[in-house]
Amino acid sequence: MAELSLSSPAPGRPVLQARGVRLGFAGEMVLDDVSLDIAPREFVAVVGASGVGKSTLLRALAGLLTPQRGTVNLSAADEPATRPWSMVFQAPRLFPWRQVRANVELGLEGLGLSRNERRSRAMEQLALVGLEAFAERWPRTLSGGQQQRVGIARALAVKPRVLFMDEPFSALDALTRQRLQVELGELRRRSEAAILFVTHDIEEAVLLADRVVVLSKPGEDEPARVSEIVAVDLPLSERREHPAFREHIHRLERHIGIDTSTSDPQESSS
Amino acid sequence: MTRLSHHRRTLLSATGVVGLVMLWEFALRLGLLPSNLVPLPSSIPAEFWAEIREGIWLEVVLASLSHYSTGLAIGSLLGIAVGVGAALEPTFDAIQSWLARLLRPIPPLAWIPFAIIWFGVTETAAAFIISIGVFWINYFASYSAVSAVDDGYNEVAHAFGQGRFMARLCKVSLPAAAPGILGGLRAGLGQGWMTVVAAELFGIPGIGQRMMEASGLLATNIVVVYMLTIAALYALFDFLFMSVQRRILRWQS
Repeated sequence: MAELSLSSPAPGRPVLQARGVRLGFAGEMVLDDVSLDIAPREFVAVVGASGVGKSTLLRALAGLLTPQRGTVNLSAADEPATRPWSMVFQAPRLFPWRQVRANVELGLEGLGLSRNERRSRAMEQLALVGLEAFAERWPRTLSGGQQQRVGIARALAVKPRVLFMDEPFSALDALTRQRLQVELGELRRRSEAAILFVTHDIEEAVLLADRVVVLSKPGEDEPARVSEIVAVDLPLSERREHPAFREHIHRLERHIGIDTSTSDPQESSS
Repeated sequence: MTRLSHHRRTLLSATGVVGLVMLWEFALRLGLLPSNLVPLPSSIPAEFWAEIREGIWLEVVLASLSHYSTGLAIGSLLGIAVGVGAALEPTFDAIQSWLARLLRPIPPLAWIPFAIIWFGVTETAAAFIISIGVFWINYFASYSAVSAVDDGYNEVAHAFGQGRFMARLCKVSLPAAAPGILGGLRAGLGQGWMTVVAAELFGIPGIGQRMMEASGLLATNIVVVYMLTIAALYALFDFLFMSVQRRILRWQS
């Protein structure tokens, strides 16, 4: 029987530990034998072809889906008024019937905080994403990038030990995406959360993560497994300019099975 | 289709009403319509005033309003509760599914015999009949509104610790389905007025009974007075409801 358990955190111990996770729907296996550790404050990116099961893995690790086999062990919240994990979705999924600040407060409800404490925690997070002035606005009046910033503020407001991000920037235009990638780097420095970041954009993964996990299917009809884990030991501040940046990307592309020799040279030099 | 300016449109709409009334008046005066079957429009204001002066108007309107509001409240609350419950709870949904299909086609007025047997010729009987029509409208509106709520919102609720039934109901299902549920309430407001008169025709004091009395005396102008009363009251309720609805749904447009 698969289980999801919450253990008390200890320094140095992984905040998330997955062992031999198997998961499928309607008799079809999607993932098998996935094991993964995430250290406190670590940024792990999961890459893979579209439809390979990245989002399914993310949901299994978060406990939104129950694996058929294997265990997922997630550190329990160690401070009062926090949650062990939270999530940023691909579409921002703000509640349109709540104003921006009330959206950020969602995860804080039921944690025993007073109305004022919730409000100030939410305003603090909105300030971090530069949207204090939008606290009383309805979500529909915000741009896509602003909505996703609110989604990030909502997730960080609960001070999670693990922040799951499911292709959070893939629905944004290129310019907004780049800006939010930089902002996420900044936020990361101020947050205690470890991040598990799912993306199909290898460059984004190499730009942001400490380690990149490749999820792929060994054969056409086989479930996906972790086929490679690449550590990105490049300084965070100037990764894009670093000579080894492209090498990491090409190495990962080869792993996923993208033939780099035929790819557009314009794209690989950008 | 060419579009009319707002001003022009209002003018034409008013012309439609005034035109019909004038046509009706002249047709009677010229003897083109039998005056014992159709009242003279110009006689109606005086008749209206007489009904008010004698206290009859207020009495029957208050009586009808009381049946209407009781039936509306009971039918709406039950309809929303059952509709929302069925949309959220698969077991309950399955249990009620055939029952709903079986009972729904029965028109509210077909319940009149049972209403009289169970409650007698009483106000309760009228409220009961009104509540039936209102129930079905609210039931179907809430059921489909809650069923159509994007499941992504439920996932958000789970991800942020609001996954328990009551939290999900209050923080996702009801607010997300509010536009549809309010649409049902508004339709029920109209449906209620339609049945209130019919429910009173069998002797329960109210607008319907007064109209029956008047028709027995061939006092067609009194019948028209109450037809206009119903139209005005419905317009008033609808207007009030719309302003409340606009407030509740101000996050929408």
